[in-house]
Amino acid sequence: MVQYSYFPGCNLKTNAKGFEETAKAVSKILEAELIEMPNWNCCGTVHTMTSDNMMRRIAPVRVLSRSKKHIETLPEGTLNQVVTLCSMCNSTLKIVNREVRMDPDKLEKINYQLEADDEIYEKDMEVKHFLEIIRDEISYEKLSKSVTNPLEGLKISPYYGCMLLHPDEAAIDDVEMPSVLENLVESLGAVVIDSPLFKFCCGSYHIVDEDSIVDTQVEKIVEAARSRGANALVVACPLCAYNIDHQQKIMKDKTQTKDPLPVFYFTQLMALALGVPMKTNHFEDHHINPKPLLKELGLSGGKKSK
Amino acid sequence: MSKTKTKTEKKNDNPMVKIYIMGSAHEVPASLTIMKAMEYAGFKITRGAGCRAGFCGACATVYRKAGDFRIYAALACQTQVEDGMVLTQLPFVPAPKGKYDVSKLSPTANTVLKYYPEVARCLSCNACSKVCPQEIHVMDYIQYSLQGQIDKAAEESFDCVQCGLCTIRCPAEIPQYHVATLVRRLHGKYNMTSPETLEARVEEIESGFYDEGLKKLMEASKDELRQKYYHERDFIDQKKA
Repeated sequence: MVQYSYFPGCNLKTNAKGFEETAKAVSKILEAELIEMPNWNCCGTVHTMTSDNMMRRIAPVRVLSRSKKHIETLPEGTLNQVVTLCSMCNSTLKIVNREVRMDPDKLEKINYQLEADDEIYEKDMEVKHFLEIIRDEISYEKLSKSVTNPLEGLKISPYYGCMLLHPDEAAIDDVEMPSVLENLVESLGAVVIDSPLFKFCCGSYHIVDEDSIVDTQVEKIVEAARSRGANALVVACPLCAYNIDHQQKIMKDKTQTKDPLPVFYFTQLMALALGVPMKTNHFEDHHINPKPLLKELGLSGGKKSK
Repeated sequence: MSKTKTKTEKKNDNPMVKIYIMGSAHEVPASLTIMKAMEYAGFKITRGAGCRAGFCGACATVYRKAGDFRIYAALACQTQVEDGMVLTQLPFVPAPKGKYDVSKLSPTANTVLKYYPEVARCLSCNACSKVCPQEIHVMDYIQYSLQGQIDKAAEESFDCVQCGLCTIRCPAEIPQYHVATLVRRLHGKYNMTSPETLEARVEEIESGFYDEGLKKLMEASKDELRQKYYHERDFIDQKKA
């Protein structure tokens, strides 16, 4: 059993409980267990583009340094890696990690603020998204061997959003031809439906003050997947998930026209295929309930086969 | 701990230090706390003093030491003066305070953000924890409350005495000590189970079980009370117990 220092991020404890709980459960089954850091702070999102604003970079650097301390309490041989689930956290932490590793002056200024807390960062951490751990450490082969309930009948369109593939220093896959979600979906026995809008903006923070912008985006993303035969979407970002899930519900209530597509986190699909108990998914938090679709396909029996 | 008893008799043996209260120099005995030193220097404290025992948080003080660029903070009743200290009292820290009915809330991050949206501005700089005289990990409980981990936030903030020093240091202008009150109320109201023994006792009281006994006590004379208080009461002998 390998262990990883895991940084949740705020959404995983509030809006995306199903994301976190399924990730923890499948990580255990795949012998690459995610162990939550005992005291963590905000990742520092949204990453500031102002290159000399050090205050906004203290949070991510503190995360790196606290994760290092956490690793010291984990079994010997645990890699100096902090694993994230939220693609926003992943992006912020990766960008800042690279910045301070390349610019000693920046790091010195930030470390000066961390010194009194005994939390100096030594430039010795890597930031990894759980998808990277699955691809590079666990392997799709092992994943597909662990499947007990193949997801037959699910036709899934992978939606990457922006943060998994942009910018360069945070990208976990090829920016134009990513394959990590596709390979994952196939390993679980589901069918991949390619959509040209796999990284079309979901509308992001406009959900706060101008949700009509989000509606337009979501409509296009969902329609592109549906018209190609998908019956569900898979995502890795809690904000994408919220926007696509919630706004489909709003539009459905308003227009009564289309069948919405349920939105899954990739770890929820893994949990379904690996026989993790159904309640771990927290489908009650979803606005478009995935349960009718799963029932129709005979995939509701979470833990029957083992 | 040093004793201050000797002040009147052996005054000359007591070394003096020079401190600067709001900029003006005063010679005070080195053994005094900041609060006592201010009174020794002639200040009459009408605000910024309470229990004088480190519990109430009324006497927040900020100071600098000679030859040290850092700003320090402490409770005046708990901190001894040092030579060259420059200090002032902070009897009150203005901070926005949410108005809510705790019985109509839910123990979530959104509740915290509704009344204290500033919490989302936290930079994780930890200035609040550094200044806390109670050594609470203030930044951690602010982060826990932002993460919706109300139970952890309530426990971490439990020792807060509401001196307000965190709030005046915060670059994100978060009123931490009011957030702490909110999360503890939420935790107490929604997460914790009410102890059975307490409920049973409240029921007993409401049923009138103690009314007669209490009435007797209220009507008793001073001598009767003295007799009961000093002679009839069961004292547990700590040594034997």
